[in-house]
Amino acid sequence: MTTIECRSIAADGGMLTITATRRPRAGRADVKCSVPGAPGVAERMQQVVRLARHTEPRFDSRDQVVLSLDRAPADGDRDWELAAVLADRIVRDVFAPRREVVANGWSDAWHLGRIDGRRLAGMPDGVLLGGADALAHLGALNGQPDPAAGISSARAWFPMHSGGEHDGLGWVEVSVRPLARAGSGEDKDREDPVSVPDVDAVRQAQVAAVLAGSRHFDGRGQGQWRTTVRFGEPRFSGDSYQLALVMADRMARGREFLARGRVIATGSSSAWHAGRVEAVEALAPKCALIAREAGPGDRILLPKEWEAALPHGLREALRARGASLACVERIGII
Amino acid sequence: MLGSLFKNTLQNTLRPLRQPEFDATRLGSVAIALPAPNGLTIPPGCAAVLVDRDGRSRRQAAGSRIAAIEGETAWCVHPGPYTCELAPFAGAPEIGLRVHFAIDASDPRATHQRFDLFLASEAGCMVELGGFVELAQTALQRELAQGNLELPPCTTLDEWNAFRTGFNQLMYTRFGVTVDDCVPVDLGAARDYAATLDARLAARLDAVHPSAAAREGALDPVAPQEAFVPACEDARALRRLFLELPCLMCAVRMAVLPADQGRFRQHQELLRRLDLVSLSVGTMPALELAAPGQPLAQEEQLRRARHSRRAAAALDEAWALLARLKVAGESPLDNLFDEADRIVANLETEAGARRAVTARETALEEA
Repeated sequence: MTTIECRSIAADGGMLTITATRRPRAGRADVKCSVPGAPGVAERMQQVVRLARHTEPRFDSRDQVVLSLDRAPADGDRDWELAAVLADRIVRDVFAPRREVVANGWSDAWHLGRIDGRRLAGMPDGVLLGGADALAHLGALNGQPDPAAGISSARAWFPMHSGGEHDGLGWVEVSVRPLARAGSGEDKDREDPVSVPDVDAVRQAQVAAVLAGSRHFDGRGQGQWRTTVRFGEPRFSGDSYQLALVMADRMARGREFLARGRVIATGSSSAWHAGRVEAVEALAPKCALIAREAGPGDRILLPKEWEAALPHGLREALRARGASLACVERIGII
Repeated sequence: MLGSLFKNTLQNTLRPLRQPEFDATRLGSVAIALPAPNGLTIPPGCAAVLVDRDGRSRRQAAGSRIAAIEGETAWCVHPGPYTCELAPFAGAPEIGLRVHFAIDASDPRATHQRFDLFLASEAGCMVELGGFVELAQTALQRELAQGNLELPPCTTLDEWNAFRTGFNQLMYTRFGVTVDDCVPVDLGAARDYAATLDARLAARLDAVHPSAAAREGALDPVAPQEAFVPACEDARALRRLFLELPCLMCAVRMAVLPADQGRFRQHQELLRRLDLVSLSVGTMPALELAAPGQPLAQEEQLRRARHSRRAAAALDEAWALLARLKVAGESPLDNLFDEADRIVANLETEAGARRAVTARETALEEA
């Protein structure tokens, strides 16, 4: 029997706690929900969890999950839905977050994994927020594009190392939307529009140059897309984010095989137009960071030049955790 | 006069028997197997597969005449080779695999030919290349999504080889086809992702403003829900379970040589449970009856059909697992036996729910 907790910020500003327990099914219902004094909410919770399970590739009828809310949410408040879905996934080891989860979000299409929005105003730190401007669908937890959306976005992670306690994984998200076909004729010579909010002009130019180079190597994607790049933490230095950016861009444009988990990459290049990946600094601390943070299904990409100097046992440790590592010389397959 | 009579008789005896109509030109290009009429001379390069009502099959070689016994259905099968393109990830339409595959001549070591079983249980009327490719793609995508096969970004040579081994075995175990060649390809020219997204956005706009029906011809944003006729779907799923479970059990029995007493027990238990599922399928109550002479409500029929479909999906997983067992070799099998336990549990649950008359009946047991 496993028990975990997942929380959500209630309408009154307090916390709602969802407790999830997994136990052998023994002929009982697959999901059982209870909310004190609100059987309607419990019913909705069961429906939400069952619908969200449709997006999982693996079905297991051997377990029963019991979910309970510690108190009834306000009338019409549905922000607990995301927390319930995540609690159901965490207790069955489908999703393995690194820290405790506080989540707010609701959806009318859980069976597609889409998260439509949230009631919660503002963007408090450390809260997983559902909605188009934050977590738009469940696959995005691993950075994967939504196969049904009109705008494709993908995330990749990169180790941020400054020698301080703020070391951690940062993410970069690339969203692409097709340039309108009409009128593309006169804009043919212009570069693809790339916008990178929240960073300085130098970084903006660098991101645009990296994308232009790697798309040139790819042979496709020029003159097709309007691109938006966002960073989880816009204040950082160095060029080692570039490989993660390129991988996120390729995933968003539907031109890269997908990992089951996250893509964690570090590497830069002076020749993205040739698809080359070059070494970056701080091998040892970055490898240590990756070894700490990687989870099941994650794909780690490092520069080829690092291969000989990798810490002893890193590959095996990652494999034992269900992650895989590759040292790459150039992007693309083999 | 006598002379002309004699000539007529001679002509009648010498003229070959009239051939039944059969168009073999589509075979080998867009069709893999076509239903063949009795008495047809099997075209060169093809083979005939004859299947009786219980799913037992036999083959006839090219040049001979199809002689079906009472109750047998015949197909004319072209061994190929065929070429197709598979998209391993639904979210990455511009990168794919170009696969060359062929249907094997019958394997003398096997008691039943997997492709013949596929024909018997899944083919329905004919097997077209397009439909077959879709099935293969679904099987591949599910294995990748579950992590049983791996094709990660920047796949290395070793990982590619491991993938190929698993993929070849999956195709052989699940469909009975041999993969001759498989290479990653850029499908960008044929499946332009930007155009797909453009069409989706346009369709979404149309949904918001229904008056703007100008782009009626644009692609549908989501694949339209496949038509779901409970009676057809249920019959198809149950027939698959009925025909394939015994073959699957036979293959599972042979695939594992238990190393010790514990494993032997585990293996036996698995086979026993599969046998019970097979029995349950063989004695399944009719879809539209709650009890003899008592009709069942429409929505309950739909529920029953859904459970049959999910049981058939578990059967697909079981074939995929069998492929993994075959390539596992000497490596530890604990993980695979746990998967087998999960799949058999799913089969048991779905078969049980299919038997139930109402959803409440299952719910009461569960309370």
